[in-house]
Amino acid sequence: MQAYIDQLIQQGYFAGTPKEVVYAIAMVLAAFIVLSAFVAPLAGVTSWLERRVWARMQSRIGPNRVGPQGILQWLADGIKNLLKEDLIPSAADKALFSLAPYVVFMGFLCTFVAIPFGSQLIVADLNIGILYILAVTSLVVVGILMAGWSSNNKWSLLGGMRSAAQIVSYEIPAGVSILTIVFLAGTLSMQGIIKAQGAAPWDWFLFNNPFTFAAFFLYFTAALAEGNRTPFDIPEAESELVAGYVTEYSGMRFLFFFFAEWGNLYVIGSVATTLFLGGWQVPAWSIFDNNPVLLGVAQFVVFFLKAYLWVFVAMWVRATLPRVRVDQLMALCWKYMVPLSFFCLLGTLCWMLAFPKGNQIFSVAMFVLGLIILAYFCKRVVFQIRQARPELYFKPHI
Amino acid sequence: MNETAPVETGFYTEDMTISVGPQHPSTHGVLRFVVRTDGEVINEAIPDVGYLHRSIEKIGEKVTWHGYVPYTDRADYLAAMFANQGFCMAAEKLGNVEVTRRGEFCRVIACELNRIASHLISVGTFGQDIGAMTPFVHALRERETINNLMEEICGARLTYNYIRIGGVGYDILPETCTRITEFLDHFEPLVDEYNRLLSYNKIFIERLAGVAVVSREEALSYNLVGPNLRGSGIKWDIRRDIPYSVYPELEFEVPIGGAQVGKLGDSYDRYWVRIRELHESCKILRQCLKMLPKGPAIAKVARKFKPPAGECYARVEAPRGDMGFYVVADGSEYPYRVRIRTGSFTAMSIIDKLSKGIMVADLIALIGSLDVDAPEIDR
Amino acid sequence: MGVASYARDIKDTLTSVFEGMSITFSHLVRRPMTIQYPDKIPKPIQETLPRRYRGILEVDLDICTGCLACERDCPITCITIGIEMDKETKQRKFTHFDIDVCKCMYCGLCSEACPTGSIRHSQEFEGASYDPAGLVRHFVTQPAPLYKPKKGGETDPKLATKVDIGLKYLDEFATPDGGAAAEEG
Repeated sequence: MQAYIDQLIQQGYFAGTPKEVVYAIAMVLAAFIVLSAFVAPLAGVTSWLERRVWARMQSRIGPNRVGPQGILQWLADGIKNLLKEDLIPSAADKALFSLAPYVVFMGFLCTFVAIPFGSQLIVADLNIGILYILAVTSLVVVGILMAGWSSNNKWSLLGGMRSAAQIVSYEIPAGVSILTIVFLAGTLSMQGIIKAQGAAPWDWFLFNNPFTFAAFFLYFTAALAEGNRTPFDIPEAESELVAGYVTEYSGMRFLFFFFAEWGNLYVIGSVATTLFLGGWQVPAWSIFDNNPVLLGVAQFVVFFLKAYLWVFVAMWVRATLPRVRVDQLMALCWKYMVPLSFFCLLGTLCWMLAFPKGNQIFSVAMFVLGLIILAYFCKRVVFQIRQARPELYFKPHI
Repeated sequence: MNETAPVETGFYTEDMTISVGPQHPSTHGVLRFVVRTDGEVINEAIPDVGYLHRSIEKIGEKVTWHGYVPYTDRADYLAAMFANQGFCMAAEKLGNVEVTRRGEFCRVIACELNRIASHLISVGTFGQDIGAMTPFVHALRERETINNLMEEICGARLTYNYIRIGGVGYDILPETCTRITEFLDHFEPLVDEYNRLLSYNKIFIERLAGVAVVSREEALSYNLVGPNLRGSGIKWDIRRDIPYSVYPELEFEVPIGGAQVGKLGDSYDRYWVRIRELHESCKILRQCLKMLPKGPAIAKVARKFKPPAGECYARVEAPRGDMGFYVVADGSEYPYRVRIRTGSFTAMSIIDKLSKGIMVADLIALIGSLDVDAPEIDR
Repeated sequence: MGVASYARDIKDTLTSVFEGMSITFSHLVRRPMTIQYPDKIPKPIQETLPRRYRGILEVDLDICTGCLACERDCPITCITIGIEMDKETKQRKFTHFDIDVCKCMYCGLCSEACPTGSIRHSQEFEGASYDPAGLVRHFVTQPAPLYKPKKGGETDPKLATKVDIGLKYLDEFATPDGGAAAEEG
């Protein structure tokens, strides 16, 4: 993006203003466009899609009245929440109570400046990209603790404490899995990691060697835990703690927490795609040769679809699995995921020593293994449908 | 995994008193527990009941015998048939009424369908409390078919007023029998699917294995009944041990807990007993539908029912345990006293004992596994 | 914890999660069970309810004999009937027949007690009203005579259809002498 701004300056726009100011204004503008035109509708549509996906998995239809197929449900929810009374409990710590949703919101919004939507579509290609993302998402802990403490409510406090323990612990398996890929790619920059992969599935880091395959699932699970999603949604466990750390919130402040959660799903998906699934890489077809716009659009679409697939998987997991208890959560992290992620890191390092240029045959074999697992999955789905004897399905009176 | 050794930190700590309920998504009705915890670990959980008290027993003294049957529906609205049956059995014993054979079979069909419906809610809400939201909706979907069947039989979906003194209020038509058989064919594989989704799930098992273990002696001394008692390994079922109606002619097993995972008498055993009872109820239903005899569905009972003075205790095996009706008649057309003994009320007494040393999340699992039901507790 | 149980824990978790996810995915591709009441249904729900459905009570005053059996049998005293002797014609007439719908518990005891089947449960269930007074149904608009059932069947054709409907409704209840269903079933 910097090159584009330099081009504009050379062409004579912005005469009279120093270069740094132009850069700063351009950055702010780009961030604003990304946030309002992309992130906000995305989080909203994710909330609608989540409800539809859950509903279909539960044999019912989700929201389908507001707008075509209910796609404007999130607008209706947003307006409803704006119109609600803004309650602050009288004994609550007003400053922290009001500030907490914004801290959580910031924690996830700041990541979007480093997410690569295409080879030229990135707000800031930091050379410590992935480290920046990991650091900024940890701000969420501060926000949740503030919310839990300032509500002056024992349920919220319990929720906040649990959440702090959970997020901080799961940083480690997430970080070590990311480290595995960083070693393989040789750089922390997001674009660099994507460029180290190829467009074909066997060029992705996911299928590079069995250790990165395991590291992917470890990363995804740890990221779900960081995002407070089931099976790790203990902080907001609605059937246990009423609503956990958001119990005392109402109206728009309440919605901010969930906005952050849905948006965070997309961040998880993007990071997973960048690190493991080849990012925006498209095959080198000839129609892209002289058409940078088409290439940009194709890269954006590819990246978006890959990242959104993981958002869908996160929703799917939430619909399926029960919650783990907080001590089991800790045991899972420290006894299972941390040793396994270190094992994957060591394995990858040994693999890199054994095959400095990578092993194409093994990658293809891993890809075939992945396809076999997918085929077995489809077979199980067909089995489930047949077992339920669809010919005897409940026929309503109508 | 459940023992937490107290940590000497030298800090001044204080126990936190939380109130679980009465408005809480997981207390199965309007219940309240005053819980004293040390962080996550509970020291004491005292139940506070009475939010759903509707004076059903007192109302029994003011309405006629026939008119009281709809009120018994509300004593436990999830298992309404059993309360109907209990009261009608007590009234029949007092008034010396013999129920017709077809009436008995219709009663068993209706009761077993209601048992399936009640257990579906129980396992569904239990999964929901543990965090799995999908199995709950699947269970309710199956229960909708049962509600439709009951609607065909007696016209109501929840508070049936079906079982009357002397038999049943409406006869079961052959089309309904066909539909019940279709439902059973469709339902049994779905219990297996439910198991694959929830019961065999490792996270679910880990949450429940070894949690809130009730030993045989404790179960007997705290007077638990129903699946709670059977989950601790004691084979006691009113249908087998103090048989009533046509249960002696039917073949079915009484599932008991067998330490599937974890210890005998833990939450998973009680849950698993309920799942197996679903299969047993299906078996009973199929036998009843085959054996349904011809004849009148209700015996001749006076419109102004006036049993001679006396007292009677009738017990039925409701889904939540042994429901007992102690009825005293004084020769008039109103009962003198109706007392309903329910399994959930006695299950509340064991919650305080079991909740020492477990976590808040386990308390929710414990309440769900005991299948306590607020209308039954408070009547 | 040995290596074997550690490995088994991981394997159990992975297989049970895989199985669970295949079940939820299979539901995703199946038809949902929702009936989109009240606008996206082919015909009104009231027409699809079973015959025996106990909806809101309705009274056909033309065939009501004024025996007060329903008022006596109601366990919650939601039915109030007033009968007065008309001085000129020396005939008894209804002055009011009120059913308090919000007290009614839809138990069906009143309809079972009725000798002609004039008080029945309809298929209606949408009885919401904006004020409590609207929840009391008044069935007497002007003083109406009591019905006197004729021996040997009803001769007036309009009343005959009403009597038939009433008696057919009463047929649904089980009786000590069998009834039609017992013959077939």
